[in-house]
Amino acid sequence: MKDFLRQNGILLLVIALLLTILLGATSAFLGGEADPLSNVVNVLISPVRGGVSAAADWAEGVYTYVFRYGELEQELDSLRARVGELEEQVRQNEEAGRENDQLRELLNLQARRRDFTFEDARVTGRSTSNWASTLTLSKGTSSGIDPGDCVVTETGVLVGVVAEAGTNWSTVSTIINTDTQMGGIVNRTYSAGVLEGDFSLMNQGKLKLNYLPEGAQLVSGDEVLTSGRGEVFPSGLVVGRVEGVFTDPSGQTRYAVVEPAVNLDVLIKVFVIKEFEIIE
Amino acid sequence: MTRRDVIHKWTVYALGLLPVWVLDAYILPRWPLFGTIPMLLPLAAAAVAVLEGAYAGTGFGMAVGLLWELAYPGGFGGQVFFLALAGMAMGAVAQYALNQSFVGCLICAAGVLAMLDFLRVAQILFINAASLSDALRVAVPEFLWSLVWTPLVWLLFQAIYRRVGGTRLA
Repeated sequence: MKDFLRQNGILLLVIALLLTILLGATSAFLGGEADPLSNVVNVLISPVRGGVSAAADWAEGVYTYVFRYGELEQELDSLRARVGELEEQVRQNEEAGRENDQLRELLNLQARRRDFTFEDARVTGRSTSNWASTLTLSKGTSSGIDPGDCVVTETGVLVGVVAEAGTNWSTVSTIINTDTQMGGIVNRTYSAGVLEGDFSLMNQGKLKLNYLPEGAQLVSGDEVLTSGRGEVFPSGLVVGRVEGVFTDPSGQTRYAVVEPAVNLDVLIKVFVIKEFEIIE
Repeated sequence: MTRRDVIHKWTVYALGLLPVWVLDAYILPRWPLFGTIPMLLPLAAAAVAVLEGAYAGTGFGMAVGLLWELAYPGGFGGQVFFLALAGMAMGAVAQYALNQSFVGCLICAAGVLAMLDFLRVAQILFINAASLSDALRVAVPEFLWSLVWTPLVWLLFQAIYRRVGGTRLA
């Protein structure tokens, strides 16, 4: 300890404290924008992140090929059968789609998703902590991505919301993260609630649809979409399916546990919705 | 030791931190064990503090905290001060109460990991985000799974210490 004091250790602690205050203040003032230091560090480590991610993807592919060959063969057979079924479904859906288009025309509704402006990005990093569920993307403000933008899969399933954006990287708070809070609606019954991340459910890969209206008759398997309430996030994005309906410990409100439609562990490419029109 | 020796020594330590960081940030999160990702950065701070003492432990802890805050998502800067303080404490404990051994490092690593998890649990409880049992269900496996990695991190930094640590370059 004498060495510590003789060598100006207190000075080091003071510097550490000042850095803490500086970082805390910048993150508080900048909101979702990355602070300059974080931005520089993340811009510099982006190639490393991309490289490690690509190498890990390749290694995972090799492992799967070598050790799970039999399993893959079985999967191929079942997939062939599934393709047949899906082709039949596609034929039916084409007809339903035409009918749907006519109905949209009839009701003078806009084809909502045509107003979306997408930016594709690669997932280069996953949660580094057990206390939050995040993804790191390969694009940032230089590609027009801003904090608050929704992130979806190629099929329009909601992945999360951009929490922080740097020059060529951004961090996504996934839908199961405890930060998540957005309007949700049950497609079948039009019961609206608030989609919220919950700490205990996050570890099971699920989230809550909270503050359900009294008398909402939800059943397991009901599809949950974003409601667009508050005009911050687009409406109609697929979130997942109701797994069960429960009453909170106070007995005052009911909530549904929602199983997300997206599998966060296997995501490689996602799409950021940079712009959308608010539909009243 | 000349300024050049000091720079040489801490450059080697920084290079030692590089594989630990890559493993911690990019490799291990892809394959969590029963859903748990270990924390390796505090182990690196513990190993260097035990080997180099309180003063160097403070500086290295601060550097590790800075890396944690800047290169990882989220955070509000608190890790910089926490790990600097932890580096000082672990260095002092290793110098005066324990010794520069693996057991000393294991005890210090357990201390810093327990403190980090305690703070996380306290934060979760403070904001009423989950019950104690839910928070402990995350904290305890994280603590244990992180501790398992101590030998690897210790061996890495011990090897560096044997080449450039202390005043060997003088």
